[in-house]
Amino acid sequence: MASLEHQLEPGDRAKVKLENTEGNPRTPAYIRGKTGVVVSLHGRIANPTDHRGIYPPLYTLLFDVADVFGGDRQDKLYVDLHEDWLDRVVSG
Amino acid sequence: MAQLISSGADSHMHDFDAHVHAVEEDLEYYRAKRFESRLLFMARRGIVTFYDLVRAADGNTQVEEQPSTAGLEMEQRIRALEDRLDAYVKEIAVTSIRGDKADVVTEDNRKERGDYDSFFRLAKREHQGGSLEKRVEQLNAELAEGEMLLRIVQRAMIQRGLSTQTKFEQRRLDQSQPGPWNGARIVARAWVDPGFKHNLIEHGREAVRELDIPPGRLGKLGVAESTDEVHNVVVCTLCSCYPYDLLGDTPWWYKNDSYKQRVVRDPRGTLKDMFGLEIPAGQQIHVHDSTSDIRWMVLPLRPPGTEGLSEDELARLVTRDSLIGTAMPLRPGEAGPTNG
Repeated sequence: MASLEHQLEPGDRAKVKLENTEGNPRTPAYIRGKTGVVVSLHGRIANPTDHRGIYPPLYTLLFDVADVFGGDRQDKLYVDLHEDWLDRVVSG
Repeated sequence: MAQLISSGADSHMHDFDAHVHAVEEDLEYYRAKRFESRLLFMARRGIVTFYDLVRAADGNTQVEEQPSTAGLEMEQRIRALEDRLDAYVKEIAVTSIRGDKADVVTEDNRKERGDYDSFFRLAKREHQGGSLEKRVEQLNAELAEGEMLLRIVQRAMIQRGLSTQTKFEQRRLDQSQPGPWNGARIVARAWVDPGFKHNLIEHGREAVRELDIPPGRLGKLGVAESTDEVHNVVVCTLCSCYPYDLLGDTPWWYKNDSYKQRVVRDPRGTLKDMFGLEIPAGQQIHVHDSTSDIRWMVLPLRPPGTEGLSEDELARLVTRDSLIGTAMPLRPGEAGPTNG
């Protein structure tokens, strides 16, 4: 069901927007403003039981717990995020 | 923040057509691939013959009257239809001959229903479209026929000594408390069948049909496989999303802020303090924060010392918490005799 149209690819770095008033509400507060790596693309998911319409493409992004919350922990966070919440980070 | 409740009955249906279409598709899938192909399988091998079926029917081919839903709102009629389909799917599982007197393996079933060769596939019924009323009516009529055939097959199986009323009842009982037991069966199959595991990780819900488990309708199923290097744990920090339609209700703490807020911030400490689970320093912890579009389950690491256990014995080691990642599966000897 993956849509052909999507902006990010696995391996891309992306920064989660701090605010996105028009977007869907399903982005946890703790991850806003943080930068992660796209690990998979799930496409546009029809989920009529849960919400009206279909949200933009969904990705799983990988974050370091240490980057998000500080500290020196080795553990990782995988967060599912919709494209309208993400800005590509050009490395350099 | 949308707090989801377990039945999902409070959330409104937005697209009637999509729901009815899903029932049409699912009904044909279960009828052709899970039930009637199995019937042919039994007939070909003389396990249950056509003559047995006719004898078992013995004139009892009336379809069972269901309370009419005609006066209800369309949304309620569709929900009733979906419930009826779920009941049909569960009854198909009850009617399975696996593990009984006849020796049937999954591979045989796949071959029989045409997974490898379309020649063997049963023709699908046409659904002509038309008004929602008409489609719902047709589906109810088709389900009534399917229910009738199931009753006759069960009677034939009893008459042939393949099963007993008590055994069917026991299976229905198991089916009525599917929840974590579904998850346990999924995990046990994934431990013993690499092909199934691959399919499960790649296709999520679609793969569980293989086990006669209704795949549910809540978004996508994500499967996080734990390994020697990685221990997975699942959370939904925004509400309490979980594939509960497939794996049953979550424990109370899953909806609790102390779990949700702590486990993303300090997974290792949370598992140790809240659950007494110490993850070795060399093993990374991956926390999966769900949206409602993908609901995650953990595929835990198969415990050591379980070589040679049957699939059923393995399933009894899988606990509800181990599907979330806040506990390891039981070790052999720790499991109780009944389905937890």
